[in-house]
Amino acid sequence: MPELAAAPELAAVPAPATAPIMRADGITLRFGGVTALSDVSFEIGASEIHAIIGPNGAGKSCTLNCMNGFSLPQQGRLFFREQDITGLPPHRIARLGVGRTFQGLQLFAGLSVVDNLLTGRHMHMKTGALQGFVYRGWAHAEELRERRRVEEIIDFLEIKNIRHKLVGSLSYGLRKRVDLGRALAMDPRVLLMDEPMAGMNLEEKEDMVRFVIDIREALDIPVVIVEHDMHVVMDIADRITVLDWGHVIARGGPQAIKGDPAVIKAYLGAEVRR
Amino acid sequence: MTLPGGVHAETYQQDRALIRTRWQWLWFAGFVAVLLLLPFIGIGKAVGIATVIGITLIAVLGLQLTSGCAGQINMGQSAFMGVGAYAAGALAANLHWSFLLTIPIGGISAAVFGAVFGLAALRIKGFYLALTTIAAQFIFTFAMLKLPKEWFGQSEGLRLDPAALGSFAFNTDNRIYYLVLAVAALMTYGAWGLMRSRTGRAFIAVRDNDNAAEVIGINVFYYKTLAFFIGAFYAGIAGALWAYYVRYVQADQFTLWLSVWYLGMLIVGGMGSILGAIIGAVVIRLLQELITVAGPQVADVLPALGGQFVFAAMNMLLGGLIIVFVIFEPRGLVHRWNIVKESYRIWPFPH
Ligand SMILES: Nc1ncnc2c1ncn2[C@@H]1O[C@H](COP(=O)(O)OP(=O)(O)OP(=O)(O)O)[C@@H](O)[C@H]1O
Ligand SMILES: [Mg+2]
Repeated sequence: MPELAAAPELAAVPAPATAPIMRADGITLRFGGVTALSDVSFEIGASEIHAIIGPNGAGKSCTLNCMNGFSLPQQGRLFFREQDITGLPPHRIARLGVGRTFQGLQLFAGLSVVDNLLTGRHMHMKTGALQGFVYRGWAHAEELRERRRVEEIIDFLEIKNIRHKLVGSLSYGLRKRVDLGRALAMDPRVLLMDEPMAGMNLEEKEDMVRFVIDIREALDIPVVIVEHDMHVVMDIADRITVLDWGHVIARGGPQAIKGDPAVIKAYLGAEVRR
Repeated sequence: MTLPGGVHAETYQQDRALIRTRWQWLWFAGFVAVLLLLPFIGIGKAVGIATVIGITLIAVLGLQLTSGCAGQINMGQSAFMGVGAYAAGALAANLHWSFLLTIPIGGISAAVFGAVFGLAALRIKGFYLALTTIAAQFIFTFAMLKLPKEWFGQSEGLRLDPAALGSFAFNTDNRIYYLVLAVAALMTYGAWGLMRSRTGRAFIAVRDNDNAAEVIGINVFYYKTLAFFIGAFYAGIAGALWAYYVRYVQADQFTLWLSVWYLGMLIVGGMGSILGAIIGAVVIRLLQELITVAGPQVADVLPALGGQFVFAAMNMLLGGLIIVFVIFEPRGLVHRWNIVKESYRIWPFPH
């Protein structure tokens, strides 16, 4: 497996191991009469794999949406490295270092794999429209420079042979990998992943698990992962937050969660509800 | 990373290059030679037609950036062009400023007017955005006819002296052709650079998935506005050149109808590709020329039909062609061209 080096600026600013990288403080999110999240609090520690689980419709995606600014909670606050980010637009939160992958496919279909990843470098690049117009010189040099980082990520994700393909022509598993690559290209300080393994076959899942573990190792950043596959979650998560009907019903390590009566009840209840 | 950096840089550079093989260079050089020598080898109205194609191309390139690349539908490109023509025309006719100033100012004026519609694009999309940009057309016409006569001449329009550099005036068809050729070449090169760099990728990101674009730190609002700004800038430059070409500016030269034709050129050429804009502008413009030439001749042979009818019928045919493209080849002629190119590249060894 090729090594993925941490981005220079990341290595230079080690977060204190004790302080949480991200923190939600009593967030409540409503859509009209529906309460998607009520009084949800949690902390994402430095370089932990933090799973958020719960039955369908529990509010997992909504939680990630609040964390990266897509949804504005009616109550509560969100912090990134103790900076209050509640109400910031998503692109500002992204620029602080919050990377995210999506449930389903959300790539730029009209761009090649390389260009999707280069787009992920957007916030680290500086070429403006005028420099782009001239192209020679500055813009060209920056393209080549950023391409190098993108190639490292392409190596790491083992997608060298498809780098010039339009993403629209790729299999589902590969597209999810490109989605991850685009988020990695941001050099994120925390990575949020919404069901990265849904719809994958066993082999693709194993690859993805390997990538998640390696990302945490190589970049030393926390990964927040929403996942339905309990085997995967129990395998890789350091800590788990369990949601049901928008409430946090349990939190702790995999062993504790496995035996937690409230969790068992929620999942059994979900079976019965279905 | 196993390869030394130098080797990588070289291959990345090749990845980015527009023209890669010796054959492509030859073709390109031949094309440039024909354009440069056109006044000497061109017959009949060739130079005049090429001039109009050049101006059209600049406007269509701008529309390609706004609509094809950034996905912001724009039905007001001709009004933006008119703003550029009037701005440059007024400065030239009233204040006698040099074209070196008035043409860029024409571009900027149109860009600012266009950016206002970019602001609207934040809230509205698709069909409603199209309607809003149509409003640009009416605002433009109304303003030009109502603003003080000393500024824009109201219904009489503006009359310009030829563009001039010292004692050299661009007062013949050949001279203005070279001016338009130079500007069109510059604007085409610029559009290519733009689309290969950070701004172009951000445009496509906004077009393909604006949520995902936000999440990786792209300010969608800024890029939608920028797409209108740049697209209208191109229109303004085209309008200013038009003003110096016909040396007469009037509001009814810039109709909604013209904007629709520009969109048609994009559809036939291929949405989202610079080459597509070139192909579309050239092909449709030539067909339109053909109609103006062939129309009267058909009417001569079949006098019973009448000139008016023949002309209308042929325009309808051209409109029908665009509809055929929308239905059967939405990726445009450039897609066909790429297929031909691919098969040619692997030619001795097809798989
Ligand atoms: N935009 C919205 N408008 C109205 N209701 C919404 C909206 N988004 C989410 N909800 C509701 O909020 C609740 C939580 O949704 P969410 O997408 O967070 O669930 P989830 O835990 O991610 O489920 P799944 O496992 O199916 O992805 C659901 O009841 C959903 O119907
Ligand atoms: Mg979900």
